[in-house]
Amino acid sequence: MATITLSKINKSFGETRVLDTVNLDIHAGEFLTLVGPSGCGKSTLLRILAGLEAPDRGEVRIDGRTVNAVRAADRNLAMVFQSYALYPHLTVAENMLTPLRMRDLSPRERLPLVGPLLARAKHRSMRAMVRETAEILKIEGLLNRKPGQLSGGQRQRVALGRAMVRKPAAFLMDEPLSNLDAALRVHMRAELAELHRDLGTTFIYVTHDQAEALTMSSRMAVMMDGHILQLDRPDRIYDDPADIRVARFIGSPKINVLAGEVDAEGRVSVRGTPLSAAVSPAFRGPIRIGLRPESLRIVQGSQAVAIEGTVVHRENLGSDIFLHLAAGDDSERLIVRATPQEAAGVTLGDQVLVEHQRGDALLFGADGKRIKPARAPEETAGQARAVA
Amino acid sequence: MVRSRSHIWFVAPAVTLMVVILLLPIGTAAVLSFTDYSLGNDGAEFVGWKNYERIFTRSTYEKMFIATFTYVGVVVPLSVGLGLGSALLINSLKRFGDLYKTIYFLPVMAALLAMAIVWEFALHPTIGIVNKSLALGCGTFLENWAWYAQGCERTFPLWLTDRDYAIWAVAFIGVWQGFGFNMVLYLAGLTSVPRELYHAAEMDGARSAWDRFRLVTWPMLGPTTVFVVTITCIRSFQVFDTVEAFYPQGGGPSKSVYVMMFAIYEKAIQQNLMGIGAAITVIFLGFVMLLTMAQRWLVERRVHYT
Repeated sequence: MATITLSKINKSFGETRVLDTVNLDIHAGEFLTLVGPSGCGKSTLLRILAGLEAPDRGEVRIDGRTVNAVRAADRNLAMVFQSYALYPHLTVAENMLTPLRMRDLSPRERLPLVGPLLARAKHRSMRAMVRETAEILKIEGLLNRKPGQLSGGQRQRVALGRAMVRKPAAFLMDEPLSNLDAALRVHMRAELAELHRDLGTTFIYVTHDQAEALTMSSRMAVMMDGHILQLDRPDRIYDDPADIRVARFIGSPKINVLAGEVDAEGRVSVRGTPLSAAVSPAFRGPIRIGLRPESLRIVQGSQAVAIEGTVVHRENLGSDIFLHLAAGDDSERLIVRATPQEAAGVTLGDQVLVEHQRGDALLFGADGKRIKPARAPEETAGQARAVA
Repeated sequence: MVRSRSHIWFVAPAVTLMVVILLLPIGTAAVLSFTDYSLGNDGAEFVGWKNYERIFTRSTYEKMFIATFTYVGVVVPLSVGLGLGSALLINSLKRFGDLYKTIYFLPVMAALLAMAIVWEFALHPTIGIVNKSLALGCGTFLENWAWYAQGCERTFPLWLTDRDYAIWAVAFIGVWQGFGFNMVLYLAGLTSVPRELYHAAEMDGARSAWDRFRLVTWPMLGPTTVFVVTITCIRSFQVFDTVEAFYPQGGGPSKSVYVMMFAIYEKAIQQNLMGIGAAITVIFLGFVMLLTMAQRWLVERRVHYT
């Protein structure tokens, strides 16, 4: 278990600035996910932490010790790579032995044939550790195979085993699941989270998949363009995004964004229809309103404030049905998450009315930052409906 | 259904060419090796295994095998080792890599026959630059070395015409000429080593360059090494240009540089003894075949990981 602190990390590759003054505190034993679109600098940050890349400026501290000058091999961190990076000429057992051999044996004791004779006890305990780890990961049967003879999922486990076997201060994982097929990925998600609970070690996990970040992490950091936009618990990131980019990136299907307006008194309106929400008049001007697909509902008959749209696409996911609506002049489609019952009568080309029913409308200012409502919605007290 | 014979027309040209230009000449050589045929004769007598018997009993041919295997034994390890070493060094360079690549590759591109003439001058006992340079060191601490002192006292070796040095001098030129080619092959091999493996090795605690080489570079270059060793072996067995340039009259001082290719040339072309020349050729082919089979076996068994 280790606490890791990154402070004021800067990194540029040539002209491109990849990381811009990033600060990050990682608590001991937590599962922290760095999530963001490709090219946002998340992998670079992880590699700086690992010591495979040197920051231009800034400091990396592990358990209070500054490790900028300590090379990767001496930081006692383990890494799982996207391509697994297993040694193809070594068997699974030898692959898992490698970190132990490199750390615990002198060059003389590593010699073939002679080495095991010189340090018999060490070699025996190392083999026992490999067996133990293999049992945890249920790969005992594969120990004598070469990586080339394994499936993707098995290779993934071996890579995990190689990282686990020497009990590092923290695990670094660089998109470890992205080479697996969808079903296996979902399965490994649960398994990794369980593994984290059992080991209690700090996990730092890089992914571009918001589902992985939401399902596994204790905290997640959403990164974009070399900045950490928000660092919080997954549920808070989803319910209470600080930035419209975070709101757009997290959640599937994507959040619906409508153009709105704040008038001189701070009242919010969409296309001339006033809403119950009100904000500080300081935000006067155009704003954007984010509505999660699940907070919208199809309603019958004409309600006071509802959006009318044409159904242009219908996605059936079994438990849910996503309806894509073309509404008015907005170029962005509106996506509604409906239950099969709700969507039963709806077919392509239908005109439907959509109403905001559940959850909060998320307001974002012109700069993309979140605007919190200034006062509780008035008139609607009896009717718990924040209408869009 | 009508059975079509059109497939014959598709394979026939290739098969015909293969038979005519590859299999037939080899077969002819094999047949000739059992005769005493000479070019210009109307017929030839079958002599059975006599040609082969001669090759494995006469001392001339014993010298031929010694010279050939000495040459191969020196050139292969040295030019493979130097090729790998220079490839690793160049690969680690950030700048000037291309310049070094070109320089080391120059001898490969140059005609060996022309280079042999240059070397002949350089190694000339009296006016050659090698012995002149060595003479400059006389009177210095280098004389503590007995061999050097002897050279100063009398003369430095007559590199190419001394029985004890000739084969080594020729082998040295072989290494000089050949390692650039191996370097290029190794450089190509190095580009295909995944960078993530080095990162994994670093994370696993491989601190020294030697650890990384043992753990990643050398195993990942396995297929390249097998290919490089095979090709260098075959090229070394085929050495001819230097020997012909230095010793047009028969294989160097007391036949110490009488390599196989030269023996074939001398017997079959110069002395018009086609039978014995063909027999040496068949043996030569046997060696090359063995090497190739060893390569195939290694590629399939050991170094093929996926």
